[in-house]
Amino acid sequence: MDISVDDLAGGITKVALRGRFDTTGAVVVELPFNKIATEKQKIMVDLSAVNFLASYGIRVLLVGAKIVKNNGGNLVILCPDNNVAKVLKTAGMDALIPIHQSEAAATAALAS
Amino acid sequence: MIAMANNEASRLVLRKDVAELKRLAGWIEGFTRKRTSPDVSFAVQLCLEEAVANIIMYGGARDDPLEIAVELERNGGNLVARIEDNGRQLDPTLEEAKVGDVGIHLMRSFASGMDYERRDGRNRLTLRFLEPAVPPAE
Repeated sequence: MDISVDDLAGGITKVALRGRFDTTGAVVVELPFNKIATEKQKIMVDLSAVNFLASYGIRVLLVGAKIVKNNGGNLVILCPDNNVAKVLKTAGMDALIPIHQSEAAATAALAS
Repeated sequence: MIAMANNEASRLVLRKDVAELKRLAGWIEGFTRKRTSPDVSFAVQLCLEEAVANIIMYGGARDDPLEIAVELERNGGNLVARIEDNGRQLDPTLEEAKVGDVGIHLMRSFASGMDYERRDGRNRLTLRFLEPAVPPAE
């Protein structure tokens, strides 16, 4: 699993994940992801290139969102409507972390 | 069209090691690629990842010679997955199942049916996956 970080306008940090966000993938990205969550305030987690998500991956997202929230920041998820989005919704994540289907919507949510 | 051979089965034996989940994922993908729709393939991968991860993490003491056998069988248009292990009793069908509860909730949602049996000191979990009524064109 890969993780890449881009600084967007408005102080937004886009964290793009790529590959299988399963137990194996989550172990790889957990530490770098938590580090970004600790350092940044407005984070967009782009799951567009994630083709699989399991509960360990969900846990990593939740922990990251909690870190950001405790620092007074915001974390949103960018995810198209696919099986990964279905996992997020089934796990009740949409009630805990805002999920957007387009980068424009995610950016607007972080800007407000 | 999806290949329509009627009954095909495959079996994989895993050790108590988180690294085995990668082998499991590749094996499931190989089995489901030409035999199921992408949605069923996803559901099978998700449910087996959650079930086997639970067994690896909570199923045995540190030095137990834990053995996990996974079987996939395509039966007509449907797919049946069986997981058998010699670890401590773990029944994900119990209402009060708390261990890894997000994972168990996902299994219940993505599988069409789930049965558990404890027999001869072994856990036997059967998961069923039904293809959508109209199979997607390839």
